[in-house]
Amino acid sequence: MRTYTLTRGRTKPRHLLGLETVLDAGPGRPGPAQAEECEEILALCRERRRSVTELAGRLRWPVTAVKILVSDLLDADVLVVPVTAPYAASDTDSDASPSTQLLAALSAGLKRKWPDAIAYPQAG
Amino acid sequence: MPSPTPRPGDPAVGLRTPSRPPAGAPTVLKVVIAGGFGAGKTTAVGAVSEITPLSTEEYLTEASADVDSLEGVEAKQTTTVAFDFGRLSLPDAPVPLELFLFGTPGQDRFVDLWYDLSRGAVGAVVLVDTRRLESSFTPVSFFEDIGLPFVVAVNQFDGAHRYHPEQVRAALELPASVPVVTCDARDPNHVAGVLLTLVGHAVKNAAAGPVRPTSTTTLQDA
Ligand SMILES: Nc1nc2c(ncn2[C@@H]2O[C@H](COP(=O)(O)OP(=O)(O)OP(=O)(O)O)[C@@H](O)[C@H]2O)c(=O)[nH]1
Ligand SMILES: [Mg+2]
Repeated sequence: MRTYTLTRGRTKPRHLLGLETVLDAGPGRPGPAQAEECEEILALCRERRRSVTELAGRLRWPVTAVKILVSDLLDADVLVVPVTAPYAASDTDSDASPSTQLLAALSAGLKRKWPDAIAYPQAG
Repeated sequence: MPSPTPRPGDPAVGLRTPSRPPAGAPTVLKVVIAGGFGAGKTTAVGAVSEITPLSTEEYLTEASADVDSLEGVEAKQTTTVAFDFGRLSLPDAPVPLELFLFGTPGQDRFVDLWYDLSRGAVGAVVLVDTRRLESSFTPVSFFEDIGLPFVVAVNQFDGAHRYHPEQVRAALELPASVPVVTCDARDPNHVAGVLLTLVGHAVKNAAAGPVRPTSTTTLQDA
């Protein structure tokens, strides 16, 4: 199914959504005006939080189509962007590189998950 | 031996109590895994992902002549690119984290996608198949130019001549600061190790001062 048919001719999402933007089910319900496909997005987000990319991959729709439909659903509170844990949100700019604090947490988390992982000594 | 009853006022107890997870969703971090055709990108994503790697499609608007037919639906020339998505959660990290992995092919028609994926990313892994070393040049220079920390992981394919990482470093003209490691993309411990190497490298970069993708960073290469 192509973007055009899915979104009734619209080619641009109204919300600024990244490929990694995560969506959660919200309190709203899809209205009759919304595409049938919105139900499929909602069903996936009810199971767990899903990124824009994951939704597109699972539904086999182009990312742009998903972004346009997700924009509709955000406007109707059917979907919400979950709020991350407060102490992690040290950066107000989501485009910025992750803080060293977050990188250290990632390193620790990976080591806990794969105690046998081999990290190579840093060159230079 | 009975453990002492935790007292509410004890700060050490409060810190370790797992029954009170911090409010809010895990923080999302992302890593880009780039490489040439058949370099093992999907394999590497799948080795550590909690879900089977998803192939996701996006349309890129392009001025190039190399375009796929889009049934004439849009006026602009668009090309379809597919990239892999995988994710893993790290609930035991000091801060609850979710790591997104994006696997993306190495041709330069993907550059717009690389910009998107690189924004705010931890860094990139360039997977190298030594039988097609030249396909690594484009992603390597892209990540160098935008100042995203990256590591090079050399896949050890069966039957392929095994190059020493230093030979690959020389062939790709990589500075000594860029880690070059060998890996088997099928082995989760290897891929996790490459990710750890990348994170270590990113920490080092961050400590050396914020690298901004501006012209000043590309000019000086001392
Ligand atoms: N021996 C060996 N084989 C590998 C390794 N990584 C991947 N392979 C194999 O190489 C083949 C290609 O791997 P893929 O993960 O599909 O490569 P890719 O980069 O996703 O390929 P495209 O998406 O087609 O560009 C598969 O048959 C893998 O099983 C490795 O580290 N060692
Ligand atoms: Mg692949």
